[in-house]
Amino acid sequence: MPVVHMQGQHADAAQTWYKDAIIYQLHVRAFHDSNGDGIGDFRGLTQKLDYIQEVGATVVWLLPFYPSPLKDDGYDISDYLSVHPSYGTLDDFRVFLDEAHARGLKVITELVVNHTSDQHPWFQQSRSSHDNPYRNWYVWSDTDDRYQEVRVIFVDTEMSNWAWDPISKSYYWHRFFSHQPDLNYDNPEVCEEVWNVMKFWLEMGVDGFRLDAVPYLVEREGTNCENLPETHVVLKMLRKRLDEHFSNRMLLAEANQWPADLSPYFADGDEFHMAFHFPLMPRMFMAIRLEDRKPIIEILQKTPAIPDICQWGIFLRNHDELTLEMVTDEERDYMYDEYARDKIAKLNVGIRRRLAPLLENDRRRIELMNGMLLSLPGTPIVYYGDEIGMGDNIYLGDRNGVRTPMQWNGGWNGGFSTADPERLYSPLISNAVYGYQGVNVLSQQRSEHSLLSWMRRIVKLRKSSPVFGRGTIEFLNPENHRVLAYIRQSENNRILVVNNLSNSAQAAELDLKHLRGFIPIEMFGGNPFPRIGELPYLLTLGPYQFYWFRLRRF
Amino acid sequence: MGQLVVNTLSDTLGNFFNTLVLFLPRLLSMLVIIAAGFLVALLLRIVVRRIFGIASFRKYCDSAGLTQMMRKAALPPPVDFLGQVMFWVVWLVFIVLGIDALGIGALREQITRFFIFLPQIFVAMLVLFVGLLIANFFSRATLLAATNANYPSARLLSSLVRLLIVIFFVTMALEQIGLGRHVVLIAFSITFGAVMLGSAIAFGLGGRDVARQVLERQFLQKEPSEKDEEISPL
Amino acid sequence: MAEDTFLSDEFVRKLTAVGEVDILVGVPTFNNHNTIEQVVNAIQLGLVKYFPRERTVLINPDGGSKDGTPEIVRDSSIQDFRTLLSASPLRTLHRITTPYRGVDGASSAWRIILAAADLLRAKACAVVSPDLESMTPEWIEGLVRPVYKEQFDLVTPIYHRHKYDGLLVKNILAPTIRAVYGTKMREPVGGEFGFSGKLACHYLEQDVWHEETVRTATEIWMTTRAIVDGFRLCQSFLGPKIHEQKPSAQNIVATIQNALGALFRCMENQEPYWLSRTDPPQPVPVFGFEYSSGLEPRRVNRKKMLTMFQNGVQQLAPILESILSSETLKEIQGVALQDEKQFRFPDELWVKTIYEFAASYHHSVINREHILQALTPIYRGRICSVVLEDQRADAEQIEERLEALCQEYERLRPRLVERWARKA
Repeated sequence: MPVVHMQGQHADAAQTWYKDAIIYQLHVRAFHDSNGDGIGDFRGLTQKLDYIQEVGATVVWLLPFYPSPLKDDGYDISDYLSVHPSYGTLDDFRVFLDEAHARGLKVITELVVNHTSDQHPWFQQSRSSHDNPYRNWYVWSDTDDRYQEVRVIFVDTEMSNWAWDPISKSYYWHRFFSHQPDLNYDNPEVCEEVWNVMKFWLEMGVDGFRLDAVPYLVEREGTNCENLPETHVVLKMLRKRLDEHFSNRMLLAEANQWPADLSPYFADGDEFHMAFHFPLMPRMFMAIRLEDRKPIIEILQKTPAIPDICQWGIFLRNHDELTLEMVTDEERDYMYDEYARDKIAKLNVGIRRRLAPLLENDRRRIELMNGMLLSLPGTPIVYYGDEIGMGDNIYLGDRNGVRTPMQWNGGWNGGFSTADPERLYSPLISNAVYGYQGVNVLSQQRSEHSLLSWMRRIVKLRKSSPVFGRGTIEFLNPENHRVLAYIRQSENNRILVVNNLSNSAQAAELDLKHLRGFIPIEMFGGNPFPRIGELPYLLTLGPYQFYWFRLRRF
Repeated sequence: MGQLVVNTLSDTLGNFFNTLVLFLPRLLSMLVIIAAGFLVALLLRIVVRRIFGIASFRKYCDSAGLTQMMRKAALPPPVDFLGQVMFWVVWLVFIVLGIDALGIGALREQITRFFIFLPQIFVAMLVLFVGLLIANFFSRATLLAATNANYPSARLLSSLVRLLIVIFFVTMALEQIGLGRHVVLIAFSITFGAVMLGSAIAFGLGGRDVARQVLERQFLQKEPSEKDEEISPL
Repeated sequence: MAEDTFLSDEFVRKLTAVGEVDILVGVPTFNNHNTIEQVVNAIQLGLVKYFPRERTVLINPDGGSKDGTPEIVRDSSIQDFRTLLSASPLRTLHRITTPYRGVDGASSAWRIILAAADLLRAKACAVVSPDLESMTPEWIEGLVRPVYKEQFDLVTPIYHRHKYDGLLVKNILAPTIRAVYGTKMREPVGGEFGFSGKLACHYLEQDVWHEETVRTATEIWMTTRAIVDGFRLCQSFLGPKIHEQKPSAQNIVATIQNALGALFRCMENQEPYWLSRTDPPQPVPVFGFEYSSGLEPRRVNRKKMLTMFQNGVQQLAPILESILSSETLKEIQGVALQDEKQFRFPDELWVKTIYEFAASYHHSVINREHILQALTPIYRGRICSVVLEDQRADAEQIEERLEALCQEYERLRPRLVERWARKA
């Protein structure tokens, strides 16, 4: 039986709080508006902290809220040490932070370190002349043929990684939008300043950072300018400073790479604490479409072991498109054909849809995917709105279709804001299937059988055992390839998870001889199932059904 | 004296007529039985013809080569033949019964013996019949196999097989009816044994090489030594 | 209907685990350890390359191999698809081996494959021989695509053959089926087949699996059955057909017996279909890119064949008298007297001979086995003639001659009908 050890159990529990975390990802702009200007803000967010706590999350991850021309939804930052006026003030943020901590919630913010907005004072200075002290803070060139082999990431909008600056009459390097020039990490001043930025927020009480676009920090000729050793040197330096001055903080890497290529970001536990497991996510979607567990098992078996204190971050959807960079051409075509029937939904190399529309609003499939998210190894990240099954709007540009206002109730603006509907930063989802009138927090709170209630229950179950966040995974491979079954184990705790990936009822026989004598207790209902004996353990599952069993010995 | 003669004559005549009178019913019954027998035999022949006249039996006879054999032997086709046989057998039985009705003691014994003998003849005929069929089949099979395996003198082999089988079955038939039991048995044993022994010696000693070749061809799938075909029919 | 269980419990269990499939490929094996690995890999590659998103399974009924064939089937796998294709397969590749007792020979294997296709609701199926040395992944595409994408029911193969190969098919089986059943098929008994799930169920429903015809020559029965029951037929060009060499010439007698016997018995069972037909034969659509390549030359022992023919005709005369009409026999005897240089067995005479044999077989003028055995020397004579004629011919001329032969079969068809229907 293939045993994939994902992590050990020897880390100090408090230091590694992120291993037991349930992360709730949201954008302050989209969550709740307290002052009626149509844009969500920190005061509004603070008012809704009870809800987040109620869902069961333990960590809030905020998308960038810094001052910015907002040409890339806040990822183009023009001031690292402040809050965008639309969202409130720095004090508002402080209040929010304290309130979150009071409820036992930790807060992670974004640190977009690879690039700034071209409106940032540093860039304004840098481009003004060749002698400016900030000149070397960015990557300039007289020609645009340096770093030839480097791929363009936003293929739908950018032609090249170089942009011409008419003011200083030279080219500057940008891996993303042309209004987001890359910082030059070969300049120690840049490194220092980035640390200062981090220190600022850490001193305020922020519990961790998601570092955006980390593979692209350093460039070298003759390479693809991704994952270079020099980049790791910078990152290790930042981590070292963090450990020296603060405790119980966490760094999360956003590096869209094959799992094997992510090992360097964990290094020996002296770089990042967590990293997203990007390749797993599309394969989960593929598996339920193919009705075959092969994609999931393969990718997890190819995932390398990481240091004890490190952790994977797993997710179903996020604020970006469902990226299909880390799949083969054949798999990408398959995903497009199966999940992006509407060609508009395709963007860059991915599909820009929310969870519920991708799964055709099928409650069973949504539950199954969330069940796998919460039982596979890693810390789960839930994107705001997916816990109530929010829909999307693919006719909004870029990826804004999955960043629409949170739907609180069936009333005015869905309870998001008291402003005029036309004033909202983004239109609400208002169609008959996903519209706020039907899909909203209030109505789901009133029903015990709503998706929200179900999510709360399963998150609670997840938190009831440390096995999920810290345990090993051992795949059972029953002959029925449509059933994905595995055992999570930590010390003497064992949980058996069985998932039916297909649309039809299935039977599976599990070889559990080595667990002879244990009694599986089904976790949702608490009912004991027949004791495990010598013969293969037969389970039958309905369409898209899954079981979580706690294995106990009596 | 004349009176004596006349008396003796009339006595004798009277006796004769008495015996005749006594005998006549028996004679009549015999005639009746024979006539009845004729009719019954006729009826049975028709029945037999009907029963065996069905197509499948005819077909069977054709495929077994029986029809051709009978034709060659200038006999009528099987179904008719069977009918005739049935006719004659039944009528014969009735004739014998009729004769028995005459009440002649000496004949009676012979008749009983005849009836006991009858089944034996049937069995013998059956044995012969079966033997002929088998001989036919196997001689044909031998001929085909030998020809297809490119043996020389396949005809000879086939006739030999037929002869042997026929002899075998004739012997069996003769033994059945008890004709020269011992003589036939001994003659057959000697002939059969001699043939076998002779073949064994000839084959073993003289035909050593040939025997080896034949065995090799039979049991070893070796590369064709001569220019054999490489084409496959399918 | 006798519901005897011919699928073992273990096999059924494995089938249940696989579940519904789109494409099923069957490979019956018996001691094929030399060639089976290549065949299995070609199948796998063909499925992944041409049907990457379909659910597939490979079924391998094994008649009790002692040389490790089932183990090879189980273990042979393509380690790294990336060297052969651009991507690795999306789905799990399923493979099931099941032993069967070779009591009924090949038909048991066929039955297992058909039953698996039925249980798994396969839309398209293919069967390939285990001893092929010339199989490529394209064969899978050729056999499956017409069924899977074009909704045909039966795909018979077309091979690129040496001119001396498959003469039994070219001179008897194919033209007879063409003339009698009205279907222009080049290889009715290919050994490789493609068929639809619908046709598979249909075959299974015919409760004839213990009959002799089906036992000994399943393919002929299946082909004629499909024609008679009105299924959509097509042909697909596969490529050269090279089997692992097995002794062939000695098996001619048995081959003729099996193949022709089966054909004649099929004709008997399916009399109502063809006896009163009058429409001309219909062409069968062809798929695939037909190409020719050089083939190894074949040696043929003409002298031996001629001698056997002449001997046979002479020695079997009394038997042949019961089978053939006297004119035909006299003609054949005339041919047997010909000199080797000018030896020719005319088409017309050959066709008459075959038809008379067929009719005699039907009427069982003598034991049926013997009738077929008696045909063998005459067949050899015909082959000798064909080989002589085609010695210096090119592909086109051979095609023309074959077509002429088929036309002759069609022309003389009424003769067959008349003799067949006659009450002996």
